[in-house]
Amino acid sequence: MVLVFSMLAISCGGSDSAATTMPNRPSVVVTYSILGAVVADVVGDAADVTVLMPNGSDPHEWQPSAKDIEKLQHADLIVTNGLGLEAGLVDVLKQAQDDHVDIFVATDHITPRRVGEGEGTDPTDEDQSVGAQDPHIWTDPSVMSEVVRALGEKLSSINIEISEQAAKVSEDLLTLDHNIEKSMSALDPAQRLLITGHESLGYFARRYDFTLIGAIIPNLSSKSEASAADMTSLVEKIKTNQVQVIFTELGTSGDVADSLAKDAGVKVVEVSTHVLPDDGSYATFMMNLASTIVTALES
Amino acid sequence: MSEIAVVARRLSVGYGSHAVLSGVEAFLKPGGSTALVGSNGSGKTTLLRTLAGLLPVVEGALEILGRPVGDSSHRVAYLSQFHQSGFVLPLRAIDVVRMGRFDQRSRFTRRSRADDVIVNESMELLRVSDLADRPLRDLSGGQQQRVYLAQVLARRSDLLLLDEPTAGLDAPGRAAYIDALNFERSRGAAIVTATHDVGEASTCDRVLLLAGRVIADGPPNVVMTPENLLETFGIGLTKVGDQLVVTEHHHDH
Amino acid sequence: MGNFVDPFLHNGFMQRALLAGILVSLTCAIVGTYVVLRGMAFIGDALAHGVLPGVAGAMILGMPAMLGAAVGAAVMVGGVGFITARSKLSNDTAIGLLFIGLLALGVVLVSSSNKLSGDLESILFGQFLGVAHSDLLAQALALLVVVVVSILSARPFLLLCFDGDLTRAMGYKAQWYHRLMLVLIAGTVVVSFQTVGSLLVFGMLLAPAGVGALLAKRIGTMMLWASVVGIVSTYLGLLASYHFSWAAGASVVLTAVAIFFVVLTFVSLKKSVQGARA
Repeated sequence: MVLVFSMLAISCGGSDSAATTMPNRPSVVVTYSILGAVVADVVGDAADVTVLMPNGSDPHEWQPSAKDIEKLQHADLIVTNGLGLEAGLVDVLKQAQDDHVDIFVATDHITPRRVGEGEGTDPTDEDQSVGAQDPHIWTDPSVMSEVVRALGEKLSSINIEISEQAAKVSEDLLTLDHNIEKSMSALDPAQRLLITGHESLGYFARRYDFTLIGAIIPNLSSKSEASAADMTSLVEKIKTNQVQVIFTELGTSGDVADSLAKDAGVKVVEVSTHVLPDDGSYATFMMNLASTIVTALES
Repeated sequence: MSEIAVVARRLSVGYGSHAVLSGVEAFLKPGGSTALVGSNGSGKTTLLRTLAGLLPVVEGALEILGRPVGDSSHRVAYLSQFHQSGFVLPLRAIDVVRMGRFDQRSRFTRRSRADDVIVNESMELLRVSDLADRPLRDLSGGQQQRVYLAQVLARRSDLLLLDEPTAGLDAPGRAAYIDALNFERSRGAAIVTATHDVGEASTCDRVLLLAGRVIADGPPNVVMTPENLLETFGIGLTKVGDQLVVTEHHHDH
Repeated sequence: MGNFVDPFLHNGFMQRALLAGILVSLTCAIVGTYVVLRGMAFIGDALAHGVLPGVAGAMILGMPAMLGAAVGAAVMVGGVGFITARSKLSNDTAIGLLFIGLLALGVVLVSSSNKLSGDLESILFGQFLGVAHSDLLAQALALLVVVVVSILSARPFLLLCFDGDLTRAMGYKAQWYHRLMLVLIAGTVVVSFQTVGSLLVFGMLLAPAGVGALLAKRIGTMMLWASVVGIVSTYLGLLASYHFSWAAGASVVLTAVAIFFVVLTFVSLKKSVQGARA
């Protein structure tokens, strides 16, 4: 009975497995939503842009389905972040590379930020200790601008001509960066202290002169769990540095954050660091991020 | 084949170093049949299992077919009292009987025509030929028992060790069983049967009455007296005054 | 109709998944038959879970996962053998404790290492969509070994399933063959866990063979049914995983279990109808 039903369902499913509507348009497959928004701006109508991870899913955790793997295998260009952000895609991307699919790794074209002294990541894990590379490049529009320039070149090399478009998007991103910098002037240096769910605002901090005090999960990925030892040391740091606000984000446990806030006497503010807003625009995303931080730290 | 089937001297059987039955003396010749009679716990199953090589000897000497126990397992057939096959087992009656021939050829040799003939004859003797293709689990208790007996016969062994072989058999079943035994004896096989059925025991050449020790040993008509039987099965009758009173005999287990 | 074939025609990774599933099904059909017939489901389950610390340890040390699984399985087999040979404590309890202990050890190892944090899932549930050619080779080899050993040991294995005492009375070393069976089960888990996952491989051992037990009159036929059910489950499960984005390993095992319960219902109904008529 179940078998018959599922067989019917499959045969009625239609041939929607072919994603491209116009067989001649090349397909560009981007891993996560924020990067996807920028790529879509660059590419425009010159290719079909598909984003694999649904907006709101955690790129550190997400696992591909069979259809996702199929899309990657048949893409003309795959655009990924790199530096281990898309942990669930490591094997699949390697397989695609072995099968000669073109892959553009965003972080190959920028200067990665490295974990600095006293940033509170786990010193015993070489992927997290001082010197480790941070993948959260999208919180710095100036970095994204560099990525766009490199992407434009790559697209040209595979005969997708959008060099004009790429230049424009790159310029727009620099303008966005400038505007955000201005809005940050409302905060004086003593207020520019960040504690987040996991180490996701490193590039933002580097660009706009913030100090990273620590994170609930002292890890570049949201996947681990907060440990008792980490929590205790974080509470101490909060008190020592007189931090007023902790920022929670995608993948942060609400219970852990609340308990921390009570112990340390701080406010909990939610900030969106991995999720695109409803209008799907990178600019809106960055503006929201900036204004949330400024508003929270001003008081 | 002319070796003595079983030679036992001052034999004690049991578990580990703990003896359940001691003082067994035996000298079983080919073609002869012996019954081990006693209640549960008398040691008859333990003795049978020791003869089959499933338990080590606790004390004394034991030879099977002129060799140490276990050396001639392919010439010995053992039928246990309980059959543990969980009835999930997809086996037909004929598959069960064929198992009897498994160790009679090397692991690389396929079933031969001779094997098939023996299997068929054994099933005919026990009157289960028409059940050959039926799954074992679909057969009645009595039918299954006859299939197990056919398996024993298929081994064409020189020594049969049977524990409660007539359990679950109806009258026609018993008749088939008697035929089978006679067939084996005519081949020169020695038969040792453990039973609590006194009637069955009386058809054997020799009877050992057991209750932790050997109470009596000899031909059935000599050995199976009311007093011996009562002592074997643990209930006694004593005359007190002019009344017969039931008393309990305590066996040293 | 293209929906039934296209996912496989167009994708190398789907073809490899199907092939891996077929190899695993065939191996599990043979070994699973013995697990079911000897009532070793619990031990089989324990073996499947017990490989976790071995795998975790191997991954932490940077060694191939299969090697770690083999070590874990060996410890499990040794432990089970030791317990069933000696302990006066109920076998059930001791084996249960052994496998829970190993499972907990495995989780501790995985969770204490930042490197492995996402991998617990893939160890437990497998990576059907990530089958490499080397995996296929290992599985084909394992199938070959299982087939050869089963043929050579066919008679003592059958006897062991039927009656342990009889096996020994006929002169076979029952203990030895019992351990050999444990090794075959362990070996099957070791080569299959990367595909179906260590939690789920157990389902592939039981469900198809369970169907065989319901339908077959002879052991050979039982293994045949088990193979067919395994292969059909693989095909349908992978297809469902593709079209509905379900986890691949779980879909395959779920299909096999569903088939089992459908057959069970059918067989029971048939029996009661026949009973009513009589």
